[in-house]
Amino acid sequence: MQKTNDNCVLEIKNLTKSYKLYDKPSDRLLELFFKRKKHKIFYANKNITFNLLEGETLGIIGVNGAGKSTLLKQIAGVTKPTSGEIKRYGRVTALLELGTGFNPEFTGLENIYLNGMLIGMKKDEIKDKVDSIIEFSELGDFIDEPLKTYSSGMTMRLAFSIAIHSEPQVLIVDEALSVGDAYFSAKCTRALKELKKKNLSIIYVSHDLNSLKLLCDRLILLNKGEIVDEGEPERVINKYNYLIAKLDKEQDGKLNIRENSCQTEYGNYLAQIKNVRIYGVESNSNVISSGEEAVIEIEVESHKDINDVTLGILIRDKFGQDIFGTNTFHYDKNIKYKKNHTYIYKFEMVMNIGIGKYTLTVALHSQDNHLSNCFHWKDKAVEFEIAGVKGSIFIGIVRLNPLISIEECL
Amino acid sequence: MKLFNIISNLRLSLEFTSRDLKERYVGTNFGQLWLIISPLISIFIYTIIFSDFMKMRMNLIGSKYAYSIYLIPGLLTWTFFNNVMMRLTNSIFEKAGIIKKINVPMYVYYVSILLTEFIFYIISIILGLIFLLIIGHKITVDFLYLIPLMIMVGVFAMSLGVVFSLLNPFFKDLKEVIPIVLQLWFWMTPIIYVKTMVANKYPFLIEFNPVFYFVEPLQNIFLYGKILNYKEVFISVSIAFSMLLIAGFLYKKLIDEIKDII
Repeated sequence: MQKTNDNCVLEIKNLTKSYKLYDKPSDRLLELFFKRKKHKIFYANKNITFNLLEGETLGIIGVNGAGKSTLLKQIAGVTKPTSGEIKRYGRVTALLELGTGFNPEFTGLENIYLNGMLIGMKKDEIKDKVDSIIEFSELGDFIDEPLKTYSSGMTMRLAFSIAIHSEPQVLIVDEALSVGDAYFSAKCTRALKELKKKNLSIIYVSHDLNSLKLLCDRLILLNKGEIVDEGEPERVINKYNYLIAKLDKEQDGKLNIRENSCQTEYGNYLAQIKNVRIYGVESNSNVISSGEEAVIEIEVESHKDINDVTLGILIRDKFGQDIFGTNTFHYDKNIKYKKNHTYIYKFEMVMNIGIGKYTLTVALHSQDNHLSNCFHWKDKAVEFEIAGVKGSIFIGIVRLNPLISIEECL
Repeated sequence: MKLFNIISNLRLSLEFTSRDLKERYVGTNFGQLWLIISPLISIFIYTIIFSDFMKMRMNLIGSKYAYSIYLIPGLLTWTFFNNVMMRLTNSIFEKAGIIKKINVPMYVYYVSILLTEFIFYIISIILGLIFLLIIGHKITVDFLYLIPLMIMVGVFAMSLGVVFSLLNPFFKDLKEVIPIVLQLWFWMTPIIYVKTMVANKYPFLIEFNPVFYFVEPLQNIFLYGKILNYKEVFISVSIAFSMLLIAGFLYKKLIDEIKDII
C-alpha cells in the first residue's frame, strides 16, 4: 500500500454511498439477477474526500440526516461504499452505539473478552490488558455481575474502556461520551487527550458544539451527504449555525404559531419592538464564544410622540434565571420618540458569561422599570448560545477576570 | 492476509460457539447436563414407545429393537438438520444489531450456529451408539464412516440454511414458509417408514430428496454395520458441496446489499 502522505492514517477518496429505494423488497433481488431497473436512488454520501493524519482529532458535524452515521459506518467497515475508496493504515475501532456486541446475560468480565474479540483483539492481548480495562472502567466488583444489571453509564464506561485498550490507530466516537456522568466524561476526555499524544487519531461526532470546539483540531461539515466546509472548528461551527438558521426559516410557517404560544408579549404598543438580533463580532452568528464581543441590535417603531422612553434588555439562562439586565435609563440614554419613526439601538458588550444557551428579553417602557407605563415587553425575543471560551478557561456563569499574582516565600 | 483473516474469524466462531453453549444454560440448575437429557429422552421414546408399547417389528435384522435402531440415526439427523435450518433462516435478523455496528462478517455467525448444533448432534449420536452397546448390537469398524457422513450433513444443512437466510430479507414470507416445508419434507423422507414402502409407488420422493442420500447410509451403518450403497455416499458428497458453492456465491452477491436493508 502506497501512502500519499507519510503520517496519514486514513485516506478517503471520492466516497459515495447511495441507497436504492424499492417498492417491494423482492424487487431488489430481481434486479440483482436480471438487470432490470426497478429503483430510485438516494445519496447518503456524495464525493467525500479527506485524509486523517496521525494524532489528529477530526470532528464531523451536520444536521440530522446529513450522512454522518453512514460515513462513520463505512469508515468502520460495516457497510461498503457504493464507489470510491477508503484506505486504512492500522486498526480502526468504532464506538458506534452503546453496548453493541455485549451480551446482557454474561458478566462484565466475560463481555470484555467477547467484545474485545469482536473488535479484533487477540485473546492473549485481552488477557494482558484485562486488569487495566477493569481499572479504567471503575466498575470494581460489578465486573462479576451480569451486564443486564448495569446502568447505561456503566455499560458505556466498559465499552469505552475496552475500545481505548484495543490500541486502535483510529478511534471513532459517535456521541458515546454524552451518556456518562460529568466525572467520567471528563476522564474520557483526558484519556483521549493522552492517547492523542501517543498519536491516536480520533473521529468525533457530536451535536455538542462546545466539546467539538474543545477536542477537535479540524471539523468537517456535512450537508445532504456532501462536505460543504472543512477546516478550523470555530469557522465551521459558525457555518453550521448558519445552516441550521436557514433550516428554521424553511419551517417558518409552522414555527411561528408555536413561538407565539410560549412567548409572552404584552404592552400598550404605543411603541413596538420590531426586530431583535444578537451576534458575535467574530462569529457573525448567534453562537458566540465566551469572551467575544457581541452586538445586540434592536429596532423600535413608535406610533405616537412619547416623551421619555427606556429600552431594557435582560439575558436569561436556560433555567430562566436572570443573568444580566440593564436599560437605557440607568445609562442616561433615554430619548424622546417622534410619531411613526424607527429607532435602532445597539448594545455592544463583551460576553463574559459561561457556556450554555441563553435567551434575550427586551422591554420598552418609561422610567426605570416597566411597572408604570409599559409600551412593549417581549420575552425570549431571541435565543443565543455561548460555546467555547476565548482566553483563559473558567467554569460557572460569569467571568470575573481575576488578576493573579504569586509571591514566593522563603 | 486474506487467509489469516479467515483463520482468525473462524477462531471467533469457536469463541461464539462456546459462549452460545454456555449462554443456553446460564442460570439453569443442571447446566450442561441438559445437553444429554434431551437426546436421551428421544432415544427412550423411540425404543420404549415403538418397540415395546406398539410392538413395531422390522424383519430387516433379527433383533427385537430393529425398528428403534432404524429410527435413531434418521430422527437424530433430522433433528439436527431441522434445528440448523430454523436457526440460520432467522440468523441475519437476529444479528442485525451487531453486523450493522461491528465489522464482523456474517459467516462467523453461520459457522458458530452450525458448530453449536453439530455438538448437540455428536452428543446425541454418541448416546445412540451407547444404546446399541446396551442392547448388544454389534458395532463395527465401518461405524467410523459416521464421522464423514455427519460432516456432510452439516455442510449441506449449513449451506441450505445460509441460502434461506440470505433470501429471507427479500421475501419476508420465507419465515412462515420454511417450518411448513420442513415438516412436509420430514414426512416425505424415509425416516419413520422404510424406503421400500414408497420406492415403487413414489420413486421421486427418494430420487429427488437430497436428505435421503444422507440418511440412508447412516441408517445402513446403524442396522448392518456397513454402507451398502457407495453411489449414495458419492451423491451426498456432491450435493453437500454443490450446495456449499451456491451458498458461497449467493453470500458474496447479497451480503453487502442485505446490510443496507436490514
